[in-house]
Amino acid sequence: MKLIDIVIGSLRRRKGRVAFIVIGLAVGVGTVVALRSLTATMEQEIGAQLDQYGANIVIVPKASSQELSYGGVTLSAATFDLLQLKDEDISRIKSIKYANRLSLIAPKLLGAVEIDGQKFLLSGAHLDQEVRMKQWWQVVGRVPTETDELLVGYEAAQKLGVIEAAKPAGHESMLHSGHASVRQSELKLLRTQLALGGGEFRVVGVIHETGAQDDQMVFTSLSTAQRVLHKPGELSLIEVSAMCNGCPIDDIVAQLSAALPEAKVSALQQAVRARLQTVERLSRFSTALSVVMLLIGFVMVFITMMTSVVERTREVGVLRALGFRKSHIVRIFMIEAALISLVGGLLGWGVGALSGALSAPYFTEAAAVGRPSLALALAALAAAVTVGVASSLYPAIKAAKLDPTEALRHY
Amino acid sequence: MSFIVIENVTKAYQPNGAASRTTVLSSVSAEIEEGEFVALMGPSGSGKTTLLTIIGAMSQPTDGRVIIDEVDVYGLSEERRADFRREYLGFVFQQHHLLPYLTTLENVMLPLVITKLNTQEKRMKAQTALERVGLGDKLDRLPNQLSGGEQGRVAIARALVNEPPLILADEPTGNLDSRTGEELINVLRSLNEQGQTILMVTHNPEAAAATHRVLKIQDGLLMSDSAEAGRREARPMMEEVCAD
Repeated sequence: MKLIDIVIGSLRRRKGRVAFIVIGLAVGVGTVVALRSLTATMEQEIGAQLDQYGANIVIVPKASSQELSYGGVTLSAATFDLLQLKDEDISRIKSIKYANRLSLIAPKLLGAVEIDGQKFLLSGAHLDQEVRMKQWWQVVGRVPTETDELLVGYEAAQKLGVIEAAKPAGHESMLHSGHASVRQSELKLLRTQLALGGGEFRVVGVIHETGAQDDQMVFTSLSTAQRVLHKPGELSLIEVSAMCNGCPIDDIVAQLSAALPEAKVSALQQAVRARLQTVERLSRFSTALSVVMLLIGFVMVFITMMTSVVERTREVGVLRALGFRKSHIVRIFMIEAALISLVGGLLGWGVGALSGALSAPYFTEAAAVGRPSLALALAALAAAVTVGVASSLYPAIKAAKLDPTEALRHY
Repeated sequence: MSFIVIENVTKAYQPNGAASRTTVLSSVSAEIEEGEFVALMGPSGSGKTTLLTIIGAMSQPTDGRVIIDEVDVYGLSEERRADFRREYLGFVFQQHHLLPYLTTLENVMLPLVITKLNTQEKRMKAQTALERVGLGDKLDRLPNQLSGGEQGRVAIARALVNEPPLILADEPTGNLDSRTGEELINVLRSLNEQGQTILMVTHNPEAAAATHRVLKIQDGLLMSDSAEAGRREARPMMEEVCAD
């Protein structure tokens, strides 16, 4: 028999009270755990979403004679540039120290083309990358894979007669009789042959209305654009996505500038800053709530242990009479507190992880909730035991300081 | 030097809010030899239990010294005094004070919890102690499954489990009917016959009759000592006590 056996015996005897304090601690720890795993999921989600909002670094040639705007970024018109970005610059980008932080490198060539006597902005890019970066794109048909294929923006498609021009609601359902409700995605390509730059092209896809400049543009592969615009090997801009959970965006920009001295590298600070702010706010909120919960836990354990000390005064007197030192008494109460809070912490972690996972769909759009992490489990246990032990320190010392003869007389 | 030397022990309290101090014990002196079975008698509030707790290394006297086996008990630090209780003393309380959530065996093992013995040794010792008080067959009972007399015997087993040189008993028969009380006194007497030194507070004359010697306390003063009286007056105390 050891001190812990006395504690276990005593805990068994006071099942109700022990259950109360264990549940109380579990609720506290559970809330903190659920909150942490929820915010972690939300952080991941926000990170992922913001990554999808597109590139956060844009590289354009330094010298320019004519301004061209794309995606809110002013860039140089490739046609009149003296200094050009080249295909070879891609490999220079890949050679920077933080290259592993770059999730996407999307080179583009932009230029004006004439189709059916109308001017359009042609964008040559690696379209598979483009689709990944612009997740809001809804492509009707498919993304071009061949060099003679085109993807057309919504408005451009209307102007070119590729799809029906905009009509008041109601007409569409008449157009597609047999379908109770007709969605936009059931748009039909009415025309697939376009002539541009002296060649014949096939339209294989139309992008649904995005509300952005993309609606007026025509997309094709980079090599096709280089051929049509007579700019072999040249690029107008390179968009770069950096994987960014607290990533050193300034360092990445500096490294890119060093690698491409003729180019202007600019970070789209807005996106990065917004992301960091949201993440920070979330984690600050959950930290504040965690502190409050742990404080409540502290007070609860403290009160319960104080009551326990009063109730067990005579027991302390007996043990002291039998030769238990003050330090033994302190140890008994501390072991008790540690055991209770360990169980409370474990239970709380289980409940918190479970409820975090179950409630995640109501708070986030994330398909998969992050698996319960070992670090969070350990942190929950550590927090519970710290709270339990810290709040029991004073009651334990108080118990040890009881006068043994007085304690024996206590009823 | 005697085994226990009580030297001018005085204990005074200042109750909360009281203007003057209440003297519980005034300059009590006595000596007890090894192997004695001594009764400490006196009316309620006479200070006999206070004297027992002072001898029991539990309560610092206001003045005077207690020397047991040549150790000045109150010259020790508080923690060392706890060790002294563990090594030298066994307590039997009036209410027995068994821990309700521990079995008979575990209650008896309590004083051994803080020793370096291994679990097997602790068990053996506790079992032996319980056999000595005739409870070798009720090791796994909880206190509330035992009769009052049995609880008293468990308390005695707990007091003697670490083989202390001195057992202190505070009215061990106080809550028991006379027959059960007698049984308990018989257990103590048989322990004493095996050489155990016992100091027992009681106001039960029958219990006192089982002892060798009676110290009478009244109003905090040692009024009579049957041993000294016996030396001077052919032990009238014992005769008086044993009269019926």
